[in-house]
Amino acid sequence: MTAEDKVKINKLPTGVPGLDEIVGGGLPEFSFNIIAGAPGSGKTTLAHQFVFANATPERPALYFTVLGESAIKMLRYQQQYTFFDPSLLPGSIRFINLSQVVLEKDLGAVLEEITKEVTKSTPAVVVVDSFRTMVRGPQDGMDLQAFIQRLALFLASWQATTFLIGEYAEEELRDNPIFTVADGLFWLRQTTERNSIVRKLQIVKLRGQASVPGLHTFRITDAGVQAFSRTFGLTASRRSALGLKRLSFGIPEMDKMLDGGVREGDSVLVAGSSGTGKSVLATQFIAEGIRLGESGIVAVFEERPQAYAERAATLGLDLEKPQNEGKLEILYLRPLDLSVDETMHSILSAVQKIGAKRLVIDSLAGFEMALSPGFRADFRESLYRMIFALTGIGVTILSTVEVDESFIEFPFSTYSISFLTDDIIRLRYVSIDGQLRKIMTVIKMRGGNHAKDIREYEITSQGVVILGTRLTNYQGLIGGLPVHTGRSAAQEDALHDSEIERNS
Amino acid sequence: MTISPETRDLAQRLLTYEAAAGKSSMPLESATLRTYERLRQCIVSFAGVASFQSIAVRALMLAQVEVPSLCAVQVSANGSLQGFSDSEHRITIDIDQAGNQQSGEDPPGEAGSIFIAWILNLLLTFLGEALTLSLLRDAWPDATFDDRNSGNGRKA
Repeated sequence: MTAEDKVKINKLPTGVPGLDEIVGGGLPEFSFNIIAGAPGSGKTTLAHQFVFANATPERPALYFTVLGESAIKMLRYQQQYTFFDPSLLPGSIRFINLSQVVLEKDLGAVLEEITKEVTKSTPAVVVVDSFRTMVRGPQDGMDLQAFIQRLALFLASWQATTFLIGEYAEEELRDNPIFTVADGLFWLRQTTERNSIVRKLQIVKLRGQASVPGLHTFRITDAGVQAFSRTFGLTASRRSALGLKRLSFGIPEMDKMLDGGVREGDSVLVAGSSGTGKSVLATQFIAEGIRLGESGIVAVFEERPQAYAERAATLGLDLEKPQNEGKLEILYLRPLDLSVDETMHSILSAVQKIGAKRLVIDSLAGFEMALSPGFRADFRESLYRMIFALTGIGVTILSTVEVDESFIEFPFSTYSISFLTDDIIRLRYVSIDGQLRKIMTVIKMRGGNHAKDIREYEITSQGVVILGTRLTNYQGLIGGLPVHTGRSAAQEDALHDSEIERNS
Repeated sequence: MTISPETRDLAQRLLTYEAAAGKSSMPLESATLRTYERLRQCIVSFAGVASFQSIAVRALMLAQVEVPSLCAVQVSANGSLQGFSDSEHRITIDIDQAGNQQSGEDPPGEAGSIFIAWILNLLLTFLGEALTLSLLRDAWPDATFDDRNSGNGRKA
């Protein structure tokens, strides 16, 4: 059988931002789906979004309500969402209440009533909310499984895409024969993590096409349910070829240390303790990009965009103008219950909007604090996904991270994330000649021949300025408490060369 | 709690429409019952009997404040109206006997209009104007409804 011989399954828009990507491009037409979850998890809202996205006067949607939430109250609340278009009622979307049939008769009568209405309207979409409330006791003539099997058969024949909504607890997911009938099973979870609510969505099954596996965070806003795919909506994107271009910091000596600059598409980590100039370096990186025509995004978590721009202005860097010109966006992300996926969505939207080439995350500690406690446990894994996704589309990321200053060790990061980064620049304080001075060194540069020098620098009104040549007449610089050797650079080089000769 | 003049006007238009749509010789209380019945069928269909019944009972209680004789009217468990014709008849007789039927007095049928207006008022409160008018369009497909503030194009 060739690909042309196979039946083509149309994909319907879910009406839920981000969900089409998760379900593999859209919901299979004529599929029979169950939306399960606890009360308040967003089941009805999700179904409404699908209905409003697909109902037409020619192929309307039938929304059957049973027992539970009053239809009047449901419509009262649902119409607050921006997707709710009252003009579609009742021509394209019809709400039909079956509570009387359920109360007075059995499931057979309910099936008969649904059959009658579907036959009359030939709908494109059918929703039964909530099908679980139909089972009222052992006196029912037809059990729920038989009811669902017959309903699924009937609705498939009538070419309707169906959602059954049911309230289920987590432990009911296993071994439930009801779920075997469904083509798609959408599980909505809502958990409380300390003071935050975390909502997650899982496509437990979806026949006919590959969905993105795993738990995806979602949020319910004025626009309804918004899902955030674990792949950040980039599954269809091709990874950019490894960049040959070098991105300048606008600090010539630093570019030299980096073998010409940061390689395009790299993830750079600037690590150092408080006051070492991580943010200054990050700001110079962004400002230089803008100067060279490369748009940028700065995601700040510890100060407001205005304060960030004002601080840049003290270094002679104008971030106001590029913001007004659409070349720079400073994102302030700090609602305290974010997921990485939501943060990523905001960043990605901004990247796509202005075609950003450089991204600064200032800082990873602030980023972590902005996340809901439940997401902090997954921070490393989430960061990995985020960096991989963004660098994959050619964005160069510079993240700052604060490390505790120690005079006995030289940590790169408190997150053990150095493996995620291509390049690491370490800033630190050293005690020299009765002064607390600053040094920097390039620790790692994937695919580049970076300098091994330890350089002293200062933060001036022009930003980071690298002083003189490498520090040669000190030993133990990276420990922070160097010892003066009294040797000149020439003597150091000769010593170094003879050491190499002896070992070769 | 009061009913806006627009809602009263809408109720009156529905009654007039029903009176005209039926036989012109029909007494006005029949128009009230017909209007009520159309609303009942429409709301029961999408919200269920219990929802409609509770709205009707609430509307009746509110209407009774303005028209005490409506105390004789009851909403049954299935949402149908009982005792309304008798109530209308009594209002008409009272007015005739007092010789009070002059300009400015409530004409017969005003009780029905007030009752229907209270039902509409509750629907507008719960569902908003857009959805309420959608429901009315569904119940009266031949009528034309714009918004409540405009008489243009509104046939009912």
